[in-house]
Amino acid sequence: MASGFKGKGKNVSLEELVAKVPNGASLALGGSFLHRGPFAFVRELIRQKKTQLEIIKQSPGYDIDILCRAGIVKKVRAGIVAMEGNFGLAPSYRKAIESKAVELEEHACATLTAGLRAAAYGVPFQPCGGLQGSDIPNINGWKRIDDPYGQGEPVWVIPAISPDIAVIHANEVDQQGNVRVYGTSHWDRIMSRSSKTVLVTAEKLVEDHIFTDQPEVTLIPYFMVEAFSIVPQGAWPGSCWPYYEIDYPAVEEYMSSLSQDVLDAHLKAASEKLELINA
Amino acid sequence: MPNSWSPFSYIVTNLARFIRPNEITFSGVNSSMPMLACLMAKRAYDWDYIYINVAGGVDPEPSSIPLSSSDPVLAENTASIFDNEDFYDLCTRGRMDLTFLGAAQIDGEGSANNSVIGNWHSPKVRLPGGGGGAVMLPTAKRACTWRTEHSKRTLVDKLDFRTSWGGFHGVVTPIAVFIKRDGRLALESWNPESSLEEVKERTGFTFDASQAKPTEYPTTAEIEALRSLDPHGHFERDAAVSIRIAAHAAP
Repeated sequence: MASGFKGKGKNVSLEELVAKVPNGASLALGGSFLHRGPFAFVRELIRQKKTQLEIIKQSPGYDIDILCRAGIVKKVRAGIVAMEGNFGLAPSYRKAIESKAVELEEHACATLTAGLRAAAYGVPFQPCGGLQGSDIPNINGWKRIDDPYGQGEPVWVIPAISPDIAVIHANEVDQQGNVRVYGTSHWDRIMSRSSKTVLVTAEKLVEDHIFTDQPEVTLIPYFMVEAFSIVPQGAWPGSCWPYYEIDYPAVEEYMSSLSQDVLDAHLKAASEKLELINA
Repeated sequence: MPNSWSPFSYIVTNLARFIRPNEITFSGVNSSMPMLACLMAKRAYDWDYIYINVAGGVDPEPSSIPLSSSDPVLAENTASIFDNEDFYDLCTRGRMDLTFLGAAQIDGEGSANNSVIGNWHSPKVRLPGGGGGAVMLPTAKRACTWRTEHSKRTLVDKLDFRTSWGGFHGVVTPIAVFIKRDGRLALESWNPESSLEEVKERTGFTFDASQAKPTEYPTTAEIEALRSLDPHGHFERDAAVSIRIAAHAAP
């Protein structure tokens, strides 16, 4: 198999895109809290009844909560989990961890980044600053090593984390699958470099010259992207700068109870948006 | 201007008072009060500083004040995007002058628990988790935190789990401001609506109060700056901070 993804046929439906995810896969999800996460993709994982997923993200919230709520997560590796704003803790995630239905590997955001960097750099582990006096390294069995050059303080080293798939929600892609985002890239860049493959949902398909006119704005080159799908409103109910803000009433509705009815209604409200897109 | 504090203005204003001229200061996720403090300091004081935030903003001028402290509007009118990897690296290489970090429990040394109430392996309450603290608290030049509840279960003698070590430079609650002195949190001042006795009674760790005094009331500039950020009191209402009973029972 070639190392890059060349050729046509990358532009597929959301259903086909998500069908590429095997049960038990580890997924790095882009974005942060309620901002530019691949949330339509996440809901489609639930509709397709995936199982035993491992979710990797420095600051998940809605995404890990709804996946735990649907019962399709086996393990999560995360730095900080919350719904943010006035919504507080992520209730279904919390329940899943407290009941031990889901295994947690607790990170600091920067240690998860260090693990991803190790994979991206092609080395087995990556030193990470800080962590002195924290109980987190011990929980995870991380090692601390001396500076082999004898110049600095001992440093914690984080083992490589190489997700099977990075899933990114982008502002724009072109026909080949080059990827652009606006505003902060959160951790999307290191996720794309550390993962074995990249799947993308995007708000818009734009003409090739948009990318070639300003190549330095491209976050991920096409050859790293296996497939993409055009999904306007794909970060709903979160924001996608500069197109739309958080849909707070929708998040409130989602948070209003842990009942199956509320989850079903939420998924349906989203799927109506998807049908509009396909029409 | 009346000589008074609301519990909300007390926390935000005293967080803003930790910010110093020309320093690099960061506000992160889940941090509405520090976000307001950072924006407030830009408006209230006659000096400037370098404000960076988790939305990637560098001295941004947001067109509105967001509920989410990681909202992309916090990168409006910024001339560069300083992203997540950038600000963590800045911190670990020792160039972060001041960062604000959340904490569920704080002990007398200024270490923090953001992970669990109860045993880590069998938690009573699973909290948000490590976040920035474990890496930023020991590496930032100064880190400050806030708690909307001042009680023996939030300001504890012993943490359930030590997520982050390194010692907060400052801690603000609705009734008190602590700063680090000789490796421990010392009482700097108390809310004049409260008292030294009340702070002692409601704090789970012992502390030096030899230099403590009532907190200075807000200046006109501070009051006006905060009002301009929250003209209709939405943030104050949502934060629901009270001096004596926390509105939210959850830690």
